[in-house]
Amino acid sequence: MDLEFSTEEAELRDNVRSVLAASCPPSLVRSIFEGSGDAESLWKQMVDLYWPGLAIPEPLGGLGMGYVEVAIVVEELGRVVAPGPFLPTVTQFAPAVRSLGEDRHHEHFLSAVASGELTGSLALAEEGAWEPAAVRTVARHTGDAWRLSGSKSSVLSGAPAFDELVVVARAEGTHGLDGLGAFVIPWASVETTSRRVIDPTLPLVDVRLDDVEVPEERVLAAPGAEHVPAALAVVLEEATAAVALSTVGTCRSIFESTLDYAKVREQYGRPIGSFQALKHRFADLYLSLERATSLCYFAALTIAEDDPRRSEAVSLAKAAVGDCQRLMAQDGLQLHGGIGFTWENDLHFLLKRAKCGDPLFGSAAWHRGRLAEQHGLLEVSA
Amino acid sequence: MKLSFGPEVDQFRREFVSWLEENRPTDEEIAVDPPRSSADIPEWARRWTRRMFDAGWLVPGWPPERGGRNAGPVETLVYLEEMTKARVPRTTNPQGLGIVAPSLFDYGDERQIREYAMPILLGERSACLGMSEPGAGSDLASLSTRAVIDGDELVINGQKVWTSGANYADFCFLFCRTDPNAPKHKGISVVLVDMQREGITVRPLAEIVHPDRPDLNEVFFDDVRVPIDNLVGEVNNGWAMAGGSLAHERGMVWLSSVMGLEENVSRLLGEAPDALARLSPHERGVVVDRIVSSYIDSQAARCLGYRGFAKLVRGGSAPEQALMKAFCTESQRELSLVAAELTGDRAPDLGDSTDRTGRGEGSWLERYFGSFGGTISAGSSEIQRNIIAERVLGLPRA
Repeated sequence: MDLEFSTEEAELRDNVRSVLAASCPPSLVRSIFEGSGDAESLWKQMVDLYWPGLAIPEPLGGLGMGYVEVAIVVEELGRVVAPGPFLPTVTQFAPAVRSLGEDRHHEHFLSAVASGELTGSLALAEEGAWEPAAVRTVARHTGDAWRLSGSKSSVLSGAPAFDELVVVARAEGTHGLDGLGAFVIPWASVETTSRRVIDPTLPLVDVRLDDVEVPEERVLAAPGAEHVPAALAVVLEEATAAVALSTVGTCRSIFESTLDYAKVREQYGRPIGSFQALKHRFADLYLSLERATSLCYFAALTIAEDDPRRSEAVSLAKAAVGDCQRLMAQDGLQLHGGIGFTWENDLHFLLKRAKCGDPLFGSAAWHRGRLAEQHGLLEVSA
Repeated sequence: MKLSFGPEVDQFRREFVSWLEENRPTDEEIAVDPPRSSADIPEWARRWTRRMFDAGWLVPGWPPERGGRNAGPVETLVYLEEMTKARVPRTTNPQGLGIVAPSLFDYGDERQIREYAMPILLGERSACLGMSEPGAGSDLASLSTRAVIDGDELVINGQKVWTSGANYADFCFLFCRTDPNAPKHKGISVVLVDMQREGITVRPLAEIVHPDRPDLNEVFFDDVRVPIDNLVGEVNNGWAMAGGSLAHERGMVWLSSVMGLEENVSRLLGEAPDALARLSPHERGVVVDRIVSSYIDSQAARCLGYRGFAKLVRGGSAPEQALMKAFCTESQRELSLVAAELTGDRAPDLGDSTDRTGRGEGSWLERYFGSFGGTISAGSSEIQRNIIAERVLGLPRA
């Protein structure tokens, strides 16, 4: 396999990187952290550049590219700790509509995503559990509408306002992967609680659905529809890989920042990066970063080419990124010394972003457990 | 990025696989007469090398007169993948084929190529690499084995150590000091020394596992006289050859480590259910997570290798190979340790040990000890980390 960017892919990355250098400088990120700014003009620019429609088919107004291109953008967004609705809209909402819904939903929602008119997110997790089988939110059919009741946690929002939400719910009395369905509801129709989070560029809300009525045209997949479990798996893979890619981008920034600092910071008359104790730590950090990056790209490729290894590749990527962020955030802060401990330095934006991706769509530990399960290591009979 | 290299490469792969199936030595042939060291060429290996040479499958990246077919890097990678997958040893003299012969093609004269390099490619002669010394390991340039010019001869005195295959090699590609007054990198030359010469004593070093089939040796040179024509390249220019390896394949040495790692991890996963059942329930969770770590490492190593290779094909640099060397050898070590501990109270039992070609390499604990051969030799993990820090990451030297 060819696991390096083609010329076109490298051009896209360079282009995205230079746009973000100008439009998402640390000062913008700081303004989000300090509550004095928002992501609106950044999002507007992404829309002007057609980024939301990268992977949406051309007939629906998108650019018709694939998951590799989405992955490239997402990694770059992670590098600069970009705020805004790209991640939930492009890597959660759009795949959910695409995989779970029908043509009429695609025409209605995906073309609006491509044109930048619509932002959205995915409400799946409940009480910290990301597997669809753990969904308890109930959908009842009454008259010609469905009514949803339940609670969703850790929905990635993209403040200030969101338009639409895909909600996964199940028919009453069903269990496991049976009876699952998906609905699109207006953000405004649910009761949301914005959580106070350490990284405001990944804003999380908890959602309460209190007998929310959903008309027929907003039912992506009726509860119990046969395609739902497989379609949800695809959605989860894309969303999970995106969080992993974003985090690996953030980790690369921490790494570069720390490496640059070690080359210029002098003590005992020489750069601290010339001490072997630090050199070997940098070698380990680099290894951890490349290990995670390679697995993320592999996961992105298996998704783009619909390879049967995709499910496992995503867990490998998320697990490796978990190892990477743990080491990178810790050594990144430690090796910056006191300066990295200050609010004034930009490092903490990166550190917080690197940490906050881990719990989304299954922690590293969750994915390690899944790998163990899939390799038959958990069903041991003594 | 693509998961496949495309239809033409697939066709190349099929062609090689079918040739391999028809021409490979059988497992029985190999098992009856396994190579006794990394410079021993059993009869089947002689025939096999010759067959590959004649068919242009010995070093595909080389021209036909050197046993190749002018294949590109992607084809060469595919060739190595299939060779490893089939578990056929490509050579029983890896240093000869991988380092000595290519260095001679780059630096040797016609006679040296005819008498030393070509016989390696034809399976007729084997070579060892005389590099490390008691006082020159990681700091190889400090080597002190002396070669003094005396008329039309060189007189060699000194000692080498950790010389793989010296106990069976036909000749040695020997690094020695020809100018003790020059800065240490600049006074080194390479000379070809037939191992039968008078004054050479080879003393095999039994290793911590399988002491009965040693591959490493001490080699003593006591007034060994060699024709001056056996100097390779210019006098005092030996250091240029110290990093020398098969240039066409430099970006691919990781492949066999990765495939070895994958093979071991699948063996580990295969053994795991029964072994876990023998452990107590509160022990299992801890061990399971370490097995998962090893599995992730094996998959990451594969992806890292392909990524480095893709960079190399696009004209990237080779130092990233240091990353692969450290990662693969350390992953192998950790995997063997996890596997050994997984066997619980059976861990101390010795396993089957038959040969050096990858079959019956002993118990997991024996392999764990054996894996240090990887993390210590050919530039220890610590040296690899220095290389990564300085050459890849640009951190200043002390």
